[in-house]
Amino acid sequence: MYQYSPEDTKFLVERVDQFEKQLKRHLDGDLDAAKFRSLRLRNGLYMELHAHMLRVAIPYGTLNTIQLRALADVADKYDRGFGHFTTRQNIQYNWIELSEIANLLRELSSVGLHAIQTSGKATRNITADPLSGLTEGEIADARPYCELIRRWLNLHPEFSWLPGKFKIAINGAKLDETALRVHDLGLRLIRNKEGELGFTVYVGGGLGAAAMVAAETASFVPVEDILSYLESAMRIYNLKGRRDHLKKLRIKFLVRELGAKEYSRLVDEDWKQTRDDPELKLNLTHLSELEKDFALPIKPLALDGFVDKVDFNYSIWKKNNVRAHKVSGHSIVNISLTKLGEAPGDATSEQMRILADLADQYSYSELRTTKRQTIVFPYVRKDQVFDLWQSLEKYGLASPHQGTLAQIVACPGGDYCDLAKAGSIPIATRVQQRFDDMDKLLDIGDLNINISGCENSCAHHHVADIGLLGMQKNGEEYYQITVAGETLHKTVIGKKLGPSVSGDNVVDAVEDIVNVYLDNREEEEKFTEVFKRIGIKPFKEKVYE
Amino acid sequence: MSESNELTAASATLGAKVAESRPLDTSVLNKDNESIELFSVEQWIENVDEVSKLGVGVIVKPADDVQLLKDTLNDVALIALDFNNFDDGRGYSQAYLLSKRWKYAGEIIGINAHLDQLQFMLRSGVTSYKLLEGYEGFDELDYSNGFSICYQAAANNSGLKKKF
Repeated sequence: MYQYSPEDTKFLVERVDQFEKQLKRHLDGDLDAAKFRSLRLRNGLYMELHAHMLRVAIPYGTLNTIQLRALADVADKYDRGFGHFTTRQNIQYNWIELSEIANLLRELSSVGLHAIQTSGKATRNITADPLSGLTEGEIADARPYCELIRRWLNLHPEFSWLPGKFKIAINGAKLDETALRVHDLGLRLIRNKEGELGFTVYVGGGLGAAAMVAAETASFVPVEDILSYLESAMRIYNLKGRRDHLKKLRIKFLVRELGAKEYSRLVDEDWKQTRDDPELKLNLTHLSELEKDFALPIKPLALDGFVDKVDFNYSIWKKNNVRAHKVSGHSIVNISLTKLGEAPGDATSEQMRILADLADQYSYSELRTTKRQTIVFPYVRKDQVFDLWQSLEKYGLASPHQGTLAQIVACPGGDYCDLAKAGSIPIATRVQQRFDDMDKLLDIGDLNINISGCENSCAHHHVADIGLLGMQKNGEEYYQITVAGETLHKTVIGKKLGPSVSGDNVVDAVEDIVNVYLDNREEEEKFTEVFKRIGIKPFKEKVYE
Repeated sequence: MSESNELTAASATLGAKVAESRPLDTSVLNKDNESIELFSVEQWIENVDEVSKLGVGVIVKPADDVQLLKDTLNDVALIALDFNNFDDGRGYSQAYLLSKRWKYAGEIIGINAHLDQLQFMLRSGVTSYKLLEGYEGFDELDYSNGFSICYQAAANNSGLKKKF
């Protein structure tokens, strides 16, 4: 697996040293709150409701077990023994003391982890398909490109003070597990007719109050030209993006106001002047080194005559959580850390260490994090899946609820986050309690419910089968419901069902929507397929009758 | 301070309105300590025929279109980029265009600059700077040259190990 070189680690330490000086100046009264805010956010530090929150990047969602143990140590030493895996391949700690932050970051830098640009109006952690390198039909593993682009954006002198935050995702697989087109900028690896590798570029997507699907601004940018293209795309945003209106800072508003065609024209005009600059060509030597570092550690395995164990609970769990691997003899295993009634994505330090031990034993010491806030073991031998399941079961990490509706994606919500307008986790818990019948859960199958506590949309509710957005009405918590959003095959923003529903009634509404789906489902139809066929009306009538 | 209060505080520092209500600098000391008169971009464009040989500098605000200077760049004695608004990053792209793309050979001075942004300014193509008040007594090198490595091409990468 790829690891930072000593010079990269030194850079991380230099960044911590600088931030420590800035923090001291702030505490001494020599750096005002507004400027310090700008600086600390670029180092992942939020001032939250009860304490300080630190967001640490998990670049392209890949972790080795040494890194995971370091994250567990940080949870014990500097937090209250747990961390929160986010929907964008980060981990957050909620109880950090300012006086300890520099030491915390130094400890992380020794294992190649950092909090650089995990917040603020800068380019955020670049996310990748958590199954990069693992699935059949993939064009290329996105991670070497993520790493090169991540490096290139590290303290980029021109693009560190953008109008708004800037999120990039890269996908090389057939299915889109990254939700590319709801990112500020999405890159899809493709091959052109000549078989050359390049990217289709999408710009201006986003969730939040004005959810938009990104426009395609370039159908094919050769891989070696991607940095110059990104530079132009970001320069136009930096120079022309809205800075005068707090709610219009993201690039989606610029693309909407200019029109995607005009924005693309401006980018192309700028790009013409730089695409032949040798300093902006992607370094193909670095790329091939990275491709070696990210190469899969497994070879095809002939498991002649292997017959998997038969066990009722194991079979249910396996159906929802084990996927085919492109390398024969292996499986991809998905693990949810969340027990019913707990915050999705939360992991205790003990769980992290258990997962690290199990990944050492079963998955070549590598793990991935996903936008559904789960952990993936990428390289499990087919004949060891049962053993792994038994271990997971022993530690309470193999609930058969995983991969069903009960595995809800939710942000921390009003219980933890100062921005939230309403609770997320209590609603998730009540939905889980309502759907506690295993037979019904299995009958419903894979149906996504995502709950965001405010318009920042951290739980990506717009692109879920059922999305709930928390809001306040006359001092009470209400939820706006959206249905039939998706990203996997194509990107569709969910439709608003109707007026928002009170916290007391929202679980009934969710159950109504699920029942309309079940009553109308033909054969194996997914929720979005039923919705396309019957339209919004039956759902609306049932919920608001 | 809570995050929502911080948003309110940040909005107060947002955008051109604040910058415009502040009187523009009308002169600046160049690197040789000579006082250079500063014209706004509009003044420069209007009067370029008369003033182009008089050693006048131009002050560029974040909202200015720096492209307007492109054709007469060689006649500008000095360009002052205004970095007063901490969160407004347009100056970095302006510096890049002037320095790297159009190869402006004169002094590009970052005025009303902030200590914490020196590394970004200098690497984008700013050649000298004048800090705002309140940054006295701190080691500028910590902020202008605090790193050993750089990961991207920029107008100025001097002293840094390149990894790109």
